[in-house]
Amino acid sequence: MRSREIPRCHMITSRHNQEIVVCLGLTYFYSRVSGNTVDLGASDLADKARQFPAVFEPAPGGSSSSLSLLLSSFPGDLEISEYCRDLLLIFGQRYEAYVKCLVPAARPVKVCENCFSSYVNLNETYNNISDQVGPGNVSCRDSLLRSDRLMVVFVLFNNLKDLWEKSGCSHCITKGFQGLTNDTLAFMTTLNQTQTCFDTYQQGNHTELCQKCKNTYKDLNELYRTLEKDLNMCIDVEDAMNITRRIWSKTFNCSLPREETVPVIAVSSFMLFLPIIFYLSSFLHSEQKKRKLIHPKRAKSYNSLMNIQDKQN
Amino acid sequence: MANITKKVSWSSRADETGILGEGTPLLNGSEQLTHSRQPSEGRSVFQIGRLSTVDLEEEITSDEDSQRGRPNEIPHNEKLLSLKFESLDYDNIENQLFLEEERRMSHMNFRCLEISRWVVCGLIGFLTGLIACFIDIAVEELAGIKYQVVKKNIENFTEVGGLSISLLLWAVLNSAIVMVGGIIVAFFEPIAAGSGIPQIKCYLNGVKIPRVVRLKTLVVKVAGVICSVVGGLAVGKEGPMIHSGAVVAAGVSQGRSTSLKRDFKIFEYFRRDTEKRDFVSAGAAAGVSAAFGAPVGGVLFALEEGASFWNQMLTWRIFFASMISTFTLNIFLSVYNKNPGDLSNPGLINFGRFPVDGVAYNFYEIPLFIAMGAIGGLLGALFNILNYWLTIFRIRYVHRPCLQVMEAMLVAAVTATVSFTMIYFSNDCQPLGPEDKKEYPLQLFCADGEYNSMATTFFNTPERSVHSLFHNQPGTYNPLTLGLFTLTYFFLACWTYGLAVSAGVFIPSLLIGAAWGRLCGFLLAAITTPAPLWADPGKYALIGAAAQLGGIVRMTLSLTVIMVEATGNVTYGLPIMLVLMTSKIVGDYFVEGLYDIHIKLQSIPFLHWEAPATSHWLTAREVMSSPVTCLNRIEKVGTIVDTLSNTSTNHNGFPVVVQVSGSDEPEKLCGLILRSQLIVLLKHKVFVELARSRLTHRKLQLKDFRDAYPRFPPIQSIHVSQDERECMMDLTEFMNATPYTVPQETSLPRVFKLFRALGLRHLVVVDDENRVVGLVTRKDLARYHIGKHGLEELQLAQT
Repeated sequence: MRSREIPRCHMITSRHNQEIVVCLGLTYFYSRVSGNTVDLGASDLADKARQFPAVFEPAPGGSSSSLSLLLSSFPGDLEISEYCRDLLLIFGQRYEAYVKCLVPAARPVKVCENCFSSYVNLNETYNNISDQVGPGNVSCRDSLLRSDRLMVVFVLFNNLKDLWEKSGCSHCITKGFQGLTNDTLAFMTTLNQTQTCFDTYQQGNHTELCQKCKNTYKDLNELYRTLEKDLNMCIDVEDAMNITRRIWSKTFNCSLPREETVPVIAVSSFMLFLPIIFYLSSFLHSEQKKRKLIHPKRAKSYNSLMNIQDKQN
Repeated sequence: MANITKKVSWSSRADETGILGEGTPLLNGSEQLTHSRQPSEGRSVFQIGRLSTVDLEEEITSDEDSQRGRPNEIPHNEKLLSLKFESLDYDNIENQLFLEEERRMSHMNFRCLEISRWVVCGLIGFLTGLIACFIDIAVEELAGIKYQVVKKNIENFTEVGGLSISLLLWAVLNSAIVMVGGIIVAFFEPIAAGSGIPQIKCYLNGVKIPRVVRLKTLVVKVAGVICSVVGGLAVGKEGPMIHSGAVVAAGVSQGRSTSLKRDFKIFEYFRRDTEKRDFVSAGAAAGVSAAFGAPVGGVLFALEEGASFWNQMLTWRIFFASMISTFTLNIFLSVYNKNPGDLSNPGLINFGRFPVDGVAYNFYEIPLFIAMGAIGGLLGALFNILNYWLTIFRIRYVHRPCLQVMEAMLVAAVTATVSFTMIYFSNDCQPLGPEDKKEYPLQLFCADGEYNSMATTFFNTPERSVHSLFHNQPGTYNPLTLGLFTLTYFFLACWTYGLAVSAGVFIPSLLIGAAWGRLCGFLLAAITTPAPLWADPGKYALIGAAAQLGGIVRMTLSLTVIMVEATGNVTYGLPIMLVLMTSKIVGDYFVEGLYDIHIKLQSIPFLHWEAPATSHWLTAREVMSSPVTCLNRIEKVGTIVDTLSNTSTNHNGFPVVVQVSGSDEPEKLCGLILRSQLIVLLKHKVFVELARSRLTHRKLQLKDFRDAYPRFPPIQSIHVSQDERECMMDLTEFMNATPYTVPQETSLPRVFKLFRALGLRHLVVVDDENRVVGLVTRKDLARYHIGKHGLEELQLAQT
């Protein structure tokens, strides 16, 4: 087990000296042996984050956790500084806040509108961890982000960062993260108008709805198209538009009807008729191209194809 | 020289004496009398029919053999050989001038030649890549404009009504663009029509197709192909690329342009058929390589189509040209796509990546692939048969240029109409994925946010459609869409190939195949529940495309490699190979490949690999033309001029004979001289008498022959005075002193092998005393072929 784990440790934390790598390997090994797996899944991270301070303090006599027992044997300052521990705590809290905001905003998608501020907070903390230098020239980057092969903080943050980038939320938020952009706000207003219109005419005949709400719906589409063209779109806008379109076309059946079948058929059959005329007329009127045969000079014994066949038979 | 071959009469000295009697029964006495008295005004009824192209002012020696009971004129069919095609001189003419020049050349000179061959190949690759890039960008931009206009129009009219106007707009736009392409092809350079692959195949085979490698052809070809693709025809731009590459090669290697009258005084050594043809094969390879991003495929194409003259160094150079070509295209397209250095566009058609570790195939799929290959063979044979009949009809009835342009316009209009109708009545709506940003989605009557999936195949350039058929998610198309698309596109493509526009058949075939292949994948997933993971429609689309293409063009080795390279996945090598094999076997059972059909229909004397089987009993004596017009080693200028101007000798090579003076011994063969050489000699007035009088007269060099190459003036343009006619000309220095000869009893396959392997143009048949008995040329050999009733003979005709 150890021989397998140590090289991988080493690979990830190449800047650390061998001793710590070995120790970490040991850590992992012992934790596995004692059956107390270190589970740092995203779901219960918040809880763990709260427990962390306790982990690094000298073990209160007779602690049940074999993990803390083991770690307690290291001098505390070698592992993690006070400053970093605080940062980690804050990171945990903010992470929790963001996730808590995200989940209810998943359907219908409101992740940008509702949660951008918590993401900004989270991002700030992470930047503090990775870039900033704390008091006494302490940098937490190495100790928090990359001292083990699991790299919990790094992976967790990256997941959310990916989510943020995929959502395209930065397109809908103003530069200084003050709030939604004007375009987005305008879109939301029109969206609200459309929904109000839908609500008003929902009862009864849908054709009436299709007529009455057509204008606002068209405005909405137009607005959406400009946003789309400028690539100024976030998932909130996209999703809202998709839902509205689906309601419009599927629920209310307001798509355009296919009503010009007759003229289209007429024009196309006319077009299809043209080549027939063309080929017929060229067959009848065009002079057929004839080829003049030429009899090559041959030795006398040899005359024509009949000769070949004679020989073959 | 074209003038001369047109004025051909078919009289022969042998017939002159005996056939006069045969002709008489059809004529009444008085006419016969008039005719024999005033041969220069020969206007009897039967003569006009026969000899309409012969200048009646000229003396007609005899035409009495016309009444043999055979029809004089027949409708065009595939069993003809045209007189207008000549052979290339692949065999080196080893005359004294050549030997002298070789003596003068130092070792260093030969080194330089070798280096300049490499330089030429690099240039060929570079220019071919540039042309491909130009075509691609032009098509992209122009088609973009067209589709934007039509799309906007359709969007407007979907709402307010009047979609039939959009239909008309689309049809008119298409036909207008195609009209431009049609006019330049039909009126300016008809040889640029079609894909050009049959022509290049013939050129590499050794047939000199008039005007096939001229600059004008290249210009018309490039402009024409842009027009036909932008015009929305069911065509591709890949086939013409091969022709373009060949023209570039023929031009660059000569270091001058006869059309532009510019001579750069470089590469003069390469101005002969032997060298030019090597470079043309490099050009064709570079063209394939740029078209498909398949450098190895390009080399193998040149190998497959022109492999009779091959050596290791040439292959290596050709490979160099191919690599340069695809690399150039890649670089320039990456700049155009605004991420320079991203080399992801090696060819005009981009199959997209089939990831190596993603979709592979299983053993048990191979029978399925083979079955698909058989379907491809059947469909390909059907395609070829339909196109064969259509082409015959076109040659017979639609031969006037204005009719050809009209036909092309009609096809364009109908293509637009059919596409529009398909899109209009399609109920297949699909949401648009993020990867389809570059396409032109049409919504029409679909729900908002969804798009007509028929439009992604029809309302698009064919290359894009192929790409989306290969790579779109399963479920992008419903089976009805695919079925209808296959059906309509099959007939449209079949109808389009052979029009007077420059266009290739590769992409339409791929598209048809990809559509029914995808359909196969779809059905497979439908009948096996739960749908297995391996039934990926994209994979089956690829296999279908290969099967269909193989069924139509019947290429084997090179096509396999091209497909493998274009997909970028060697794992698919075996399935593609099996599929191409099956489709070739199945298709060959019914009919030949499309290119071979078109070569036949153009009456080109194409020599296949082998002489037809069961032809061993034919001997050179029966194959050859006889009697032969021979020249003496020291010949009177008058005789030579008369021989060359005589319309009855359509041969380009004349055996040179010598008679031992004073003895009664018959004339013996001592060499062979070409018409082109004689013309250069006449032009420079290399007469024995003049040489004596002017001692300072510059000796004629090989360079003088090269300067006249490849367009030797016709004999009519050379003025020879009455005095000069009496002079003598010594051919000793200029003739090929050691022509290849065969005895009379040599069998046809033996003659054929010699001819094909050495790339001969004339093969002299001699008797046991070295007297000339006959002459075998390409047309004498190419006329035998295996037909339905065993060995058949093609007839010579004037076209």
